[in-house]
Amino acid sequence: MTDGRIVVDGRPIDYRSGDSLAVAIVRAGEVPAHGGCLCLAGDCGNCLAVVDGVAYVRTCQVAARPGAVVARHPAADAKPPLPQTDLGDVVRVPVGSDVPVHREAFDVVVVGTGEAGVTAGEPLRDAGRSVAWLDASGGEEVVGIYPGPTVVARQPGRVLHLRAQEVIAATGSAEIQPVCAGSDLAGIVTTGAAQTLAAAGVELGCVVRVGQELIRFEGDERGRVTAVVARNADGSETTTPCDTAVVDLGRSARDVLARMSSDEGVCVVGSAAEEHPLPAAPTDPAAVVCPCMGTTVGDLETAFDKGYRDLELLKRASWAGLGPCQGGACLPHVRAFIAGRTGVVPEPFTARPAARQITLAEAAADVAIDAFRRTPLHDEHLAAGARMDRFGGWWRPWHYGDVVGEYWAVREGVSIGDVSTLGKLVVSGPDAVEALERIYPCHVADIKPGRSRYALLLNERGHVMDDGMILRDAETRFTLTFTSGGAANAEMWLRDWIDTWGLRAHVMDRTMSLAAINVTGPFAGELLRRLGLAEPPRFLSHVRADVAGVPCHVMRLSFTGEASFELHHPLDRSVELWRALREAGDRYGIRPHGLQALFGLRLEKGHVIVGMDTELDTTPRRLGMDWAARMEKPFFIGRAALERTAKLADERRWVGFTMDGEAPPEGSPIRSIERGDIIGNVTGSWSSPLFGRALMLGWQRLGRFDDRVEIDGRDAVVTPTPFYDPEGHRARA
Amino acid sequence: MPALEPIRLIHVVADPAALDAAPWVDDEVVLRIAADEALVGGGSAAVVDDPDAIVVDEVGFSAATLDDGALAQLLGHVEFQLPPERPALVQGKIAGVPAKLHVGEPTLLVVQTAYADELRSLLGW
Repeated sequence: MTDGRIVVDGRPIDYRSGDSLAVAIVRAGEVPAHGGCLCLAGDCGNCLAVVDGVAYVRTCQVAARPGAVVARHPAADAKPPLPQTDLGDVVRVPVGSDVPVHREAFDVVVVGTGEAGVTAGEPLRDAGRSVAWLDASGGEEVVGIYPGPTVVARQPGRVLHLRAQEVIAATGSAEIQPVCAGSDLAGIVTTGAAQTLAAAGVELGCVVRVGQELIRFEGDERGRVTAVVARNADGSETTTPCDTAVVDLGRSARDVLARMSSDEGVCVVGSAAEEHPLPAAPTDPAAVVCPCMGTTVGDLETAFDKGYRDLELLKRASWAGLGPCQGGACLPHVRAFIAGRTGVVPEPFTARPAARQITLAEAAADVAIDAFRRTPLHDEHLAAGARMDRFGGWWRPWHYGDVVGEYWAVREGVSIGDVSTLGKLVVSGPDAVEALERIYPCHVADIKPGRSRYALLLNERGHVMDDGMILRDAETRFTLTFTSGGAANAEMWLRDWIDTWGLRAHVMDRTMSLAAINVTGPFAGELLRRLGLAEPPRFLSHVRADVAGVPCHVMRLSFTGEASFELHHPLDRSVELWRALREAGDRYGIRPHGLQALFGLRLEKGHVIVGMDTELDTTPRRLGMDWAARMEKPFFIGRAALERTAKLADERRWVGFTMDGEAPPEGSPIRSIERGDIIGNVTGSWSSPLFGRALMLGWQRLGRFDDRVEIDGRDAVVTPTPFYDPEGHRARA
Repeated sequence: MPALEPIRLIHVVADPAALDAAPWVDDEVVLRIAADEALVGGGSAAVVDDPDAIVVDEVGFSAATLDDGALAQLLGHVEFQLPPERPALVQGKIAGVPAKLHVGEPTLLVVQTAYADELRSLLGW
C-alpha cells in the first residue's frame, strides 16, 4: 500500500502514512545517510540529509509528505553543499524569506512530554504557574537553551522564543551507539529503531540481535552489514550472518539541551538526569567514535597521548562531539575512553546550539543586529540626490553625485554638511573642571567660557580612544563633542570615571537630541550674517544665537581646512535651518557635501579620524600629536603609560605620502623600496583636485622610516602634513 | 497601526536623591531612565533640588500610545521581560532597536527619533 512518494536523490520512493522520511527510505531498501547505526529517535547524526533545501535535517523526525525532496549529504566528508546564491540578488533584494518569531513568557517551560515532563510540570501548573510543554513529536523542535533562560524552538513556519523563570529538561534517554570495526556500515539499527521499523511493517530480512558481546560487524562491497561477530562466554568468537543487525548496548542520558546551559534556572529531571552505566571503553583504533565528525578511536588515542586528557580538551583536540548531534552519539564512548585510561569518569562535556537544524533566516528572525540611525535631514539628503551609506552607526550621505564639485564648494565658496551624528555630551557640576582635567590629556581649566579646545581622549594605556572638542559654556558647565561612533562609549567612560572618583558632576548625552549642520567655506561667515548672526564667533570660540530664527549653539572650528561653523540646534528645527541655509547660500553657489568630499578635505589638512586612521594601540606620539598630551599636568588618564613609553623607541608613525596619478585604494600596503617588504598601510587616500595628485595618510612601521616608499606599485614620497594651508590661515580667516 | 510621533519632554540629569524628591505633577509621565536621569512629559517644568542639575527641553524622542491589543502584538518583538507591577518602565531592545516601554494605563513606547524610522519598518507600522 502506497500513500505517496518522496524524492530521494532524484528518484521517487513510495511511503506509507505515518512514515518518517527515514523510515520511508529504509522501507525502500536505502539508507538516509551513507551508513552507521540508525536510532530513529533524533539522537544520532546518521540520518541527516538535505530536505527541501535545508541541510542537516534529521529525517527520522520529519514526516514523509508528497513531493518532499531529500538529498543525501556527500559520502566523503558528509558535508552538504552550500546553497547557490546569485550574488546580484544580495545587492538588490533581501535573500531568503522572513520568518516570524513568536515571543512569550512563562513561569516554566518543560522540554519533553514524557512521564518525567508531565510529572514535573503538572503540579506547577496546578499551583497556578504558567507552564508550556515543548516536544518534537508535537512539532516543536528545541534548538537551544540560551541565557535568561530562553528556549528557542522551531515550529513549521515560525520560531519560538520562550522566556521562562525555570526550564525543565525532561528529554529522557538515548540508546548507545556501537563503536567498533564496521559500525559505520549500513543495516545497523538500535533496538528502538528496530521496533519502529517493525511497527511500520518494514521488512528487515534476517535480523541478528547483539549486546555487550559485540566485537565487530562485517560488510560487503556495497557498505552493508553482512554479519555480526560476537564474543562467547568462553572467549571464542561467533560470526552470525544477517541482513540487519540490531544492537542493544544500553542507554545514556539524552542531555544535549541540559549541557547547553549552566543557567541556574535550568533543571533536568527523569532519565535525562540519571547517570547511566557507560559502555566498555572503545579499543579498535579504526572504529569511528563520532560519526558526525568522523573521529576515530585512533584520533582519541593520538590526542590523549599528546596530553589532552581532560574531556573538554580531548573534545577540542579530536573534534569528537563538535558535530550536529553535539555528543548525542559519542559522549558515552569518549567518557568511557577517558575513564578506561585514568580510572576517573569525567563529567559530560558542554554542548552548543543548535540541537536541531536551523536556517540562517530562522537564526536571524526578528533580530536587527545593527540598527542604523537617521538624522532629521535624511529625507533632505535623498531629495538632493545623495547616495546614503552606513557610517558610525548612522545613515549618512556619502556624496550627492559630484564629489569634486562638493569639494570646490568648500574650498572656494560655501557648503553645508550634516554633522548631526557627532557625539555631544553636557557636563555640569562643581567638580566638572576637575573631572575633565583628569579625563583629558590637555588643559581644561584655562579654557574660558565661550572658548573651546580640541582634545584627544586616551585610555589608561595612553592609547587614543576618541577625539573632539571641549567647549566651556560656563564656569561649571561644558559641552563636549566626540566622533559619531564614539558617543556612547564616551558617555560610559565619563560616567564611570566621575563615579569612581566621587566627583560632583553630571553627564547628559545629547547626541540624538541635537542636530548639527557644518557651514564651511570662505563665504561661511558672510552667509551666517545674512541669516541673522551679526557676529560669527572667532576661531575656537562659540556662541548661542539664532540663525535664520533657529536657536543654535554656533561653534567655530575647522575640519575641512576652511572657516567652519557648526550649528548645533534642536532636532525638530533642522529641516527648517537646512533649507534656510540652502536658500540664502544660493548666491554663493552653496551645495551640500558628503562624507567622501569631507574625508578628502580633512586629508589635505592631515586631520586624524579616530577609528579609521587609528589602531588599538595608537598613541599621541605615533600620530605626531604629542602636543595634545600636556605632560606637565600632574595627572590625566593615560599619563603614566605615556611617560613610560616615551622612553622607548617608537616602531611606527602616522605620516603623509604623495605620488603622481590616481589615489590608491585605502588599505593598500606600503612597501619598502629597498627591501620590498610591507612596512605599513594606507589609512586615507584622496585624488586631490587642488594638488592634482594622490595624497595619502598611513602607517609606516618597523623602525626604519624611509623617505620614499612603494604604494600600489608606484613610488610615493613621505610628505609633511598638513598638505594644505599648513599655517591654518584659511581656517582662522 | 500605532502612530510613532515626536514628543516634547523635559530631560533632567540630577542627583538621584533630588529626583526621588522632585514634586512631579500627578498627571505627568516621568520616565526614570537611570538613577540620575529622567524624562518628564506633561508640560510642566521639572523642578529638582539640585543646583547643578542639567535640565533641558528634549525633542529627541518619539512615542506611541499602545492599547492592550497593540501591546500584545508588540510583545512578540520585545527582547526583554516585563515586570508584573504597573506602572513600570522597562528598557531594552524591541525588534533589535533600543527602546523603552512605560507599561501602564496607557502603555507608552518611547524611542529616540533617530531610530524611529527603523523601528517602524521592523514592526511593519
